[in-house]
Amino acid sequence: MLRWVERFLLDLAAAAIVALGLLITASVLLRITLNSGIPDTVVMVAELMVAAIILPLAATIAARANIVVEVLSQHFPGRVQDCLVILGGVIGLLALLPLLWAGYREAASAIESGGFFFGQLNLPKWPGRVLFLFGLIVCWVRLLVQVVADMRTFARGERIDTETGTNYMQEEA
Amino acid sequence: MDGTLIGIVAFLAVIGLLAIRVPIAFALAGVAAVGAFCIFAFRTGDFMPDRAIRPTSSLVFSNFFDLIHSYDLSMIPLFVALGHIAYRAEITTAIYHAARVWLAKIPGGVAMASVVGCGGFSAISGSSIACASTMGRICAPEMLSMGYDKRLATASVAAGGTLGSLIPPSVLFIIYGIFTETSISSLFLAGVLPGLLSLAGFLLVIWIWVRQKPGDAPAFTGEITAAERRQAAFAAWPAAALFIVIVGGIYGGFFTATEAAAISVALVTLTGFLQRKLTLAGFWAALRETGIQTTSIFLIAAAAKIFVAFIALTGVAPAIVGAVTGAEPNVIVLMGAIALIYLALGMFLDPIGIMVLTLPLMVPLVESYGLDLIWFGVVVIKLLEIGLITPPVGLNVFVISSVVGKSVPIDRIFSGLLRFLSIDILVLIIIMAVPALSLLIPYSV
Repeated sequence: MLRWVERFLLDLAAAAIVALGLLITASVLLRITLNSGIPDTVVMVAELMVAAIILPLAATIAARANIVVEVLSQHFPGRVQDCLVILGGVIGLLALLPLLWAGYREAASAIESGGFFFGQLNLPKWPGRVLFLFGLIVCWVRLLVQVVADMRTFARGERIDTETGTNYMQEEA
Repeated sequence: MDGTLIGIVAFLAVIGLLAIRVPIAFALAGVAAVGAFCIFAFRTGDFMPDRAIRPTSSLVFSNFFDLIHSYDLSMIPLFVALGHIAYRAEITTAIYHAARVWLAKIPGGVAMASVVGCGGFSAISGSSIACASTMGRICAPEMLSMGYDKRLATASVAAGGTLGSLIPPSVLFIIYGIFTETSISSLFLAGVLPGLLSLAGFLLVIWIWVRQKPGDAPAFTGEITAAERRQAAFAAWPAAALFIVIVGGIYGGFFTATEAAAISVALVTLTGFLQRKLTLAGFWAALRETGIQTTSIFLIAAAAKIFVAFIALTGVAPAIVGAVTGAEPNVIVLMGAIALIYLALGMFLDPIGIMVLTLPLMVPLVESYGLDLIWFGVVVIKLLEIGLITPPVGLNVFVISSVVGKSVPIDRIFSGLLRFLSIDILVLIIIMAVPALSLLIPYSV
């Protein structure tokens, strides 16, 4: 289930990248040919950026694509390295909590206040904030599942595989 | 509790967490949140945690969200997508094949073609590691099968891969631009001449290497007709067109760097489909790769943005700038010290990690000396590039090593890179001594 959600969110992010690329391209073409443009392109692209960056967070965690520095830890014994992998995950869970709390506050405030961006379309502020919160929640849950799985692997006396995360590129589009 | 002390403790905590393999983004965001909470809680002298929750929450959210909620920074996913789509549309490999055909008769021609191919790839993709990974898969096995010396075959691609960060577009330049609030378009233009100089330097190294040891690069014995040359050159036109669109469009003032990114993606996608080299499945897989790669870049950048905002609260940067300027070192000593710090860090950390950790301190220091931040950006990126091929953590070396497997031990790749490193240091000195080399194009617009 979680894997399906991650892949779906990754596909949504891919669609957001296509959409923002098309918006900017269309804007440039309209400017060059008709000296015109699409209203509120800047706001729409910025909102799509939230989708493009935040929605793949869970897939990034699952793919173990977080950038880490291994120059020192790679010299430690295997069990110690595994402990550090788990510790990194736990610190990640804690580090994301302030963001989750802040994201919840901002999303709730944007919905309650009915805030909007100044522009021709007066687009509402809440979609980007809600997407941000949703992406972070899924990412936090994914990280929690990964940490628990790593702990179980460690408890069984096996090595944690940090090299081969979920590969979404090989899966059917 | 003193803000400067909290700042210094935070820096040490981040370094400690990175050393024990905590992901960079989590280390930066976690320490910044705790540090900012402490500063707000101790603001009145006594510890008042209830007063710290709201400002900490605002600092964390606004810095993270404002970074990703950005029209200008949409160029990062677009440029990353450009590289992935161009690879799947076989546009990046066409550059190498064209160089391969045209340089075949020159001693060491395939190694030179690899470096030229890397330069061409760099003009489309914004990542050194992507460049080394992609070109390494194509060029290194071919050179090894032709009987090239193992050191030459692997080191030339590892060194060539570093061009990805200097020749525009470049993800590192974009991140530098975010943190220093300098024009990303100007940074792109500033990287052109130093990038081409680095490329020429690498070609010179190969030429001298093969002249000294002709046996290291067996001569090409096959025949290449004029028609084959024309065909290969024609096949590489999309790559040339993309470079012209990106650099020419920005230089000519036709569009911004963000717009150049979108137009390039549209062009490469259209060309790929029209040439029937890009499939829908390949296109979507490239976008998925883009999603994951972009997110991991932004996760670090956004965490670093929170960390930078926290460091600004602590007052550490002015304290360090005051201490350094108080010692009154001249510019040459200052830049020499900065270069040594970056080279040392480059041996252990990845380029983005180094930038986000050092820029909050380096930029005020450099500004206090009245130095140009665009020129300094080129110097920093060149230093980071050198870090990609220096032991023990030269990331490009590990990328090439993963491609060639156990047939070439890592120490052999590093030993081959010594010649390339020496020319890199020479190019670095030229970039530092002649700022006009970097500033000529951006300031002539």
